[in-house]
Amino acid sequence: MATVAEKPKLPQKRSRRESRNDGGSALSTYGLLAPTLLVLAAFFLLPLYYIFLFSVALRRFSPTEALAALNGELNGFTGQLWGKLVGGDVNVAVLGLEFALPALLIGVALVVLLVLTVAGGRLSERYGTWVIGIAFALLLMPFLTIPAGNTLLRIMQFTSEGIQLNLFFKSVTMAMTSSVIAVIVAVPVAYFLAFCVQKSKYTWLLIVIAPFLTSYLLRVFAWKVILGDQGLINSGLMTVGIINEPLTFLIYSQFTVMVVLTYAWVPFICLPIFLAFETIDRRLLEASMDLGATRWQAFRKITLPIAAPGIVAAFLFVFIPSIGEYVTPTLVGGVDGTMFGQNLASQFVGGSFNWQYGSTMALFLMGVVLILVFATSRFLRAGGGGL
Amino acid sequence: MRHLDRKGFLALSGTTGLAAFMAACGGSSSDSSGGGDSAAADATETADATSTAAAAPTVDPASEPGGPIEIFTWAGYDNDPEAGAPWMWSQYEEGPYGTDSPLKWTFLEDDTQALSKVASGYSPDIVHPCAMWIPQWKDGGLIQPLDLSLLPDYQGIPEAVRAGGEIDGQTWFVPFDVGFSSLTYDADAIDFDEVGGEETWRILLDQRFAGKMSFFSDPTSIIGFSHLMNEGAVDPNVLDTAQIAAAKETALQWKPNMRNYWTSQTDAVNDFVNGNLLATYTWPDGYWRIKNDPKMEGRNIKYMQPKEGRGAWVCGMVLSANTMQPGRAQLAIASANTPEAAAALTDNFQFAGAQKDGVIELIQDKALIKAFDIDNPAAWEPPNTWFEHSIPNYREVIAAGEEVKAS
Repeated sequence: MATVAEKPKLPQKRSRRESRNDGGSALSTYGLLAPTLLVLAAFFLLPLYYIFLFSVALRRFSPTEALAALNGELNGFTGQLWGKLVGGDVNVAVLGLEFALPALLIGVALVVLLVLTVAGGRLSERYGTWVIGIAFALLLMPFLTIPAGNTLLRIMQFTSEGIQLNLFFKSVTMAMTSSVIAVIVAVPVAYFLAFCVQKSKYTWLLIVIAPFLTSYLLRVFAWKVILGDQGLINSGLMTVGIINEPLTFLIYSQFTVMVVLTYAWVPFICLPIFLAFETIDRRLLEASMDLGATRWQAFRKITLPIAAPGIVAAFLFVFIPSIGEYVTPTLVGGVDGTMFGQNLASQFVGGSFNWQYGSTMALFLMGVVLILVFATSRFLRAGGGGL
Repeated sequence: MRHLDRKGFLALSGTTGLAAFMAACGGSSSDSSGGGDSAAADATETADATSTAAAAPTVDPASEPGGPIEIFTWAGYDNDPEAGAPWMWSQYEEGPYGTDSPLKWTFLEDDTQALSKVASGYSPDIVHPCAMWIPQWKDGGLIQPLDLSLLPDYQGIPEAVRAGGEIDGQTWFVPFDVGFSSLTYDADAIDFDEVGGEETWRILLDQRFAGKMSFFSDPTSIIGFSHLMNEGAVDPNVLDTAQIAAAKETALQWKPNMRNYWTSQTDAVNDFVNGNLLATYTWPDGYWRIKNDPKMEGRNIKYMQPKEGRGAWVCGMVLSANTMQPGRAQLAIASANTPEAAAALTDNFQFAGAQKDGVIELIQDKALIKAFDIDNPAAWEPPNTWFEHSIPNYREVIAAGEEVKAS
């Protein structure tokens, strides 16, 4: 009943909006944007500018400065902060074979891959998708791991003698793995909600996102209870008699950090993926069935390309906060699970107390995130781009 | 939205960005022309102003304006009757200014965070830092010297403990709480057979207990105690470059044996009583909580007295350079400096008070006196115990500690 009543209203709405736009001036549009731009300038651009000044030592913070003077450190920009961060050789191991390469070469290679990813689609209609796919896979490969107990299986791995750079590679790997697994887990859930559930869809959705009703800290602590030596899993396995000693890798390891990050983000990214599936015009699927497509073909040719922006956005939603993650590795990370974000934070409080270097690290992290968003931007466009 | 296409949006954001950039340049050019100098000038000005004040103490609590006195301290040192330390502040609160200038508390997380916050504009009246950081507070122009006439019990603090706060002939710091840093361990499970038979920090290197031990995440402690493992009973705060490198190597050796580096002692205590750990670095209260936990009943929990010596820390009160009520704030500091407050500190938090004057008789739980050698001054001196103090090459030590954690 309701849909029938709404239908005739639709054209009216559209025409009213158009007429308002035709009569209105550009000024009103700018006026509407002004608060956003002001907030952006005040709370994003300006702090960013100050972080930049800190990173090149044009601006200093007196207590850390006093420490630096006490320790005979140089003042003024000589590039040493950036050199300290990104200098040093990078070792690349492919299937166990190691190569040492200068960091610069790696950077250039990554940029070339990136350009291929972004521009690939324009090379040719036929091969563009392949170029993009392969370039993107190569970009991801060094950072993907398969967590297998205490050891992590890698196809390709970056390491560096530079402490922070090495830590950064480790953090990217952990964040990338968590994001990919979170997306793989979330897609079926969202698909189920969008296509299989007929009644009370939003109640189901609420159930899926229910963990968000509690504080993040509480959820992390819950994992400590589950994964601890005398926790749910270990005591369960020991009671059944499968193990005699508790599995110690379950808590305070890289594995734990990845498990908790994945768990924490899955409910959240179900939303964009669900919405992407939900907006698909069902008539397209019906038409494909009429034309003899199998369910898999329909998914591959229709559902996935249309939902791609939502899926890529979901991936970024997990990856961007995870790469700078600080709380989770602090609580469940153990000695191997340290992440870049913790080291970054310790430059500001509770450790090195070197605002200059902390700012350099923060800018570096932001640069990488920007590059990633740029690389995936073509997938974020409606229609799915290359997929 | 038709009027604002992508080009228009970019132009507009570009202009706004440029405007913000120029505003920032304008702001910072005045800063950077002075740069560090202006901060230094401020510091000297404050120092000048306060040194005159100290030469002729004219602080008069009675003539001060009133209003809340803000205390920036560690969690648990407020006047909450359940979880706090009301005994620290009762003398002040019951005194003449308790209602006119009521006390208020905000909590700090650690010394560097407190220092950053106050240096970037937050101005409480009293701060509760630790002795190691006093030179930074003073050189940053953030604190002012104290008027000893308002602190009647100050002389009850032993001279060695007071020394860190007495700089350039003035007193900047009233030590309040003192505590050990050592390992709490389960003596039924851990033996020192492989590391020479007596209690030693080198137990952390014993691979038999790998995955069953944890340590404090503080990089200076990681390097300092590794230095003790290398050199025996020496001051862990004084290291040259070669010694730092050696300590880092040792720290990397025992790192794989650690379960984690804890950031909150409560986590370490919980992990211990839940069976995840057999040894961990704690302060006296952590040891006491583990030992007295119902789950640890019947277990032989010990607080290590290593042959290289324990660590120890001193924290206390400083008076903010910007306080409007220096007199009343110092009366509040005096309230925490009494023998009664020191005795209550031991009874409630298991720390030792910096104040020693007649405190032992006031402590109610006599078991604590023995457990933490509160009546035995020799236990608090080298080579049994090494107090934290300002580390000359702090950055180098920290960098080594951070590298150990990151690698």
